[in-house]
Amino acid sequence: MMAPMTEEEVCDAALARDAAGGDRAAFAALVERHYGFVFRLAWRLTGHRADAEDIAQEVCARLGRSIRTYRGGSAFTTWLYAIVVNAAHDCGRRAAREAANASAWGAQVLIEAAGEAGEDPAEALWAAVRELPAKQREAVTLVYGEGMNHAGAAELMGCSEATVSWHVHEAKKRLRRIAAVGEVRS
Amino acid sequence: MTNDEFDILRDAKTPAPDGAAKARALATAMAAFDAAEKSAAAPQGSAAGLRLTDRTIRFWREMMQKKLVAMPALAGLVALPVAGYVGWQVMEEFRAARMYADALVETEAPERGRVEAPQAPTAPAMEESGSGAADTLAAQPAPAPQPDGPAVLLNRTTQPAARDLQGGGALAKRMAVPTARPGVAPEPSITREDRERFERFGTNPVRSALENPVSTFSIDVDTASYSFVRRSLKEGVLPERDSVRVEEMINYFPYDWPGPQSADAPFNTTVTVMPTPWNADTRLMHVAIKGYEVKPAEKPRSNLVFLIDTSGSMHSPDKLPLLKTSFRLLVDQLGAEDTVSIVSYAGSAGTVLEPTKVADKAKILAALDRLEAGGGTAGEAGIEEAYRLAGESFVEGGVNRILLATDGDFNVGQTDDEALKRLVEERRKGGVFLSVLGFGRGNLNDAMMQAIAQNGNGVAAYIDTLAEAEKVLVEEASSSLFTIASDVKVQVEFNPARVAEYRLIGYETRALAREDFNNDKVDAGDIGSGHTVTAIYEIVPADSPARMIDDLRYGEARESESVAKADEYAFVKLRYKAPGEAASRLIETPVTDGNAVPAFAGASEDARFSVAVAAFGQKLRGTDAVADYGYDGIMEIAAAARGADPFGYRAEFLSLVRLAAALEGGR
Repeated sequence: MMAPMTEEEVCDAALARDAAGGDRAAFAALVERHYGFVFRLAWRLTGHRADAEDIAQEVCARLGRSIRTYRGGSAFTTWLYAIVVNAAHDCGRRAAREAANASAWGAQVLIEAAGEAGEDPAEALWAAVRELPAKQREAVTLVYGEGMNHAGAAELMGCSEATVSWHVHEAKKRLRRIAAVGEVRS
Repeated sequence: MTNDEFDILRDAKTPAPDGAAKARALATAMAAFDAAEKSAAAPQGSAAGLRLTDRTIRFWREMMQKKLVAMPALAGLVALPVAGYVGWQVMEEFRAARMYADALVETEAPERGRVEAPQAPTAPAMEESGSGAADTLAAQPAPAPQPDGPAVLLNRTTQPAARDLQGGGALAKRMAVPTARPGVAPEPSITREDRERFERFGTNPVRSALENPVSTFSIDVDTASYSFVRRSLKEGVLPERDSVRVEEMINYFPYDWPGPQSADAPFNTTVTVMPTPWNADTRLMHVAIKGYEVKPAEKPRSNLVFLIDTSGSMHSPDKLPLLKTSFRLLVDQLGAEDTVSIVSYAGSAGTVLEPTKVADKAKILAALDRLEAGGGTAGEAGIEEAYRLAGESFVEGGVNRILLATDGDFNVGQTDDEALKRLVEERRKGGVFLSVLGFGRGNLNDAMMQAIAQNGNGVAAYIDTLAEAEKVLVEEASSSLFTIASDVKVQVEFNPARVAEYRLIGYETRALAREDFNNDKVDAGDIGSGHTVTAIYEIVPADSPARMIDDLRYGEARESESVAKADEYAFVKLRYKAPGEAASRLIETPVTDGNAVPAFAGASEDARFSVAVAAFGQKLRGTDAVADYGYDGIMEIAAAARGADPFGYRAEFLSLVRLAAALEGGR
């Protein structure tokens, strides 16, 4: 489905094209414009400010290196989204390694790193979302975190709308199960 | 889509991005963008790409010649932040390239196949991935054929290497070198010498004095390499070998070589032959050149107040971080007796640093580092405070100046432009001038900046891009840069009767062909007032057991010719053009036993220190000659030759040697 581009998309496309052609100012504007999106997404995927900032910075570096290869085949945000998810993925693997190392230093580190979820039920639910399989987590992040419809999320994730709906559906099933277990415990 | 219990997910607030983190990220993005540009251009071997780095170097060099910038010339003050910008860019690019290399190591192996946004090939990538890099290179289109000159020669010189590329990483690495090092021999010399450089990239080879008695190079040097090395070591990483240019490290330090008496003879050359600390069987021929120093009587004391906008809008990388680097460089240019104060304004104006002598540089730099962007702008209170501090440390007959650095959001508040202008004008009569440096774009109140700078007897310079920086540099600053000689070349002829072999330490990227020495059309470096240049040769005496090259069986003994000059080691020739002249002049100095000192300790303090720096640079480059010589030996020489060291440069060098020793030990 090829909806007519919104004004924002048009502007993104033009900026990305100029940046790919080596226009420094266009690139700066493009990154400035999307930093918020990158950070929010990274925060949703990790739940830690420091991790999210690191990921966002890494994404910025990757963008700088690869913007010249952007050919406008897909919407810029789709392309950007793939970079963010990959960066978050890399960060996750690093964190897993570090957690393994940290266990050698005792539990203190882990407790400190336990997150900023706090008592807020929404945050607790988001923490559960982060435990979901990758695709489900991404779908929920886009649909609930970024307020997109399933079609928009599908475009970013590079799959069909039906697949997104299915990921969201599966995610809800799991979340309900997790919530039920939580209630039984408490 | 129906609403359900999961809608509370929508209500959870994401924290707002942190400004400082964002600024860092954006800076990283720009650095990566610039680095990618460089590497995208470079593998094609195009002269344009090389020139770009060359131009950067030229800026850097001109700016780093400390004494060239006469403090009273306000244009100089404008030029310095420009140099800061250039330096910042150079360093960011360098760091980005290395960060990328690190990232490659990290993301290696198990997950190769996963989706990754395609990335432009960069130099470190080639080094990491051996034969893969060879493919990339092979896939690059050949340089467009050009009818004449360097491009053709360059093309031809790279051919044999390209054929060997299937052989793997080592060659690919060599090929990648020109992209990684911002140093290039002057174009006309891309002939025999340059091919030499490609094949045995970097370190100068040992040469036989019988077969190649003449060594020629351009005096042109900058000092950027030392900053690279310092930055790298301080971050806990041994520097990339190719980033170490020994001559730039040596020339980073100020040396007190004896200078000429008058401007008629623009330089004085001091040659010392001394034993080599790292090899008992060789000697060092140390050539120290000092330019005529325009009398410092014209350089009065300075009393500078930095008035720095730290409002929220200063977050972005081309503003506050660039500004800090610029001012740091400026502080480096000041004399020990000059004073600096810092006032920041954002929300409420405050004194960050009371007037402080530059001798206490660490305190000034620390205060600069502490500056953080945040808050609104209250310009008027800031400017009042700055004038108060300027008055407090007023220098009668000296330079009393406020440097206002802002992105233009100066006047949020009560005062209108007119009132501000009147204030500035009034203070000017009291002898305190004001210059305005604009940073960043989009937010700049140019008219107001111009107005207050003009009323304050100052300049308004607007620094947002490299192109603009160049314009400001050329138009505003050239008048204050004082060149005493241009196209300066050095040629040393060795006497085979005394010297069997020689090796020039450093200057690989400055080599000239022998015939270029007398060709006035061949461009070379300029030398400024008080500039010092040092070149060191390691020479192997004719009777030494350390000779590396065997005699030619059919070589003919030429002793008869040189018998008359039997006591000469070598003959040093300097060629230069006086400013504005087209024909060059020649200065010649024979090197005899009179130049020799029997023991290393007999050489001057500065000479010994420069030898320590040379040893360190070669060590970092992995040069064979110093492989068996330890860091402790370097430290010993440097510590003994520290001298007065008024700015702590040499102390810093010692700490770098210690760091390198520790890092190498940990490997």
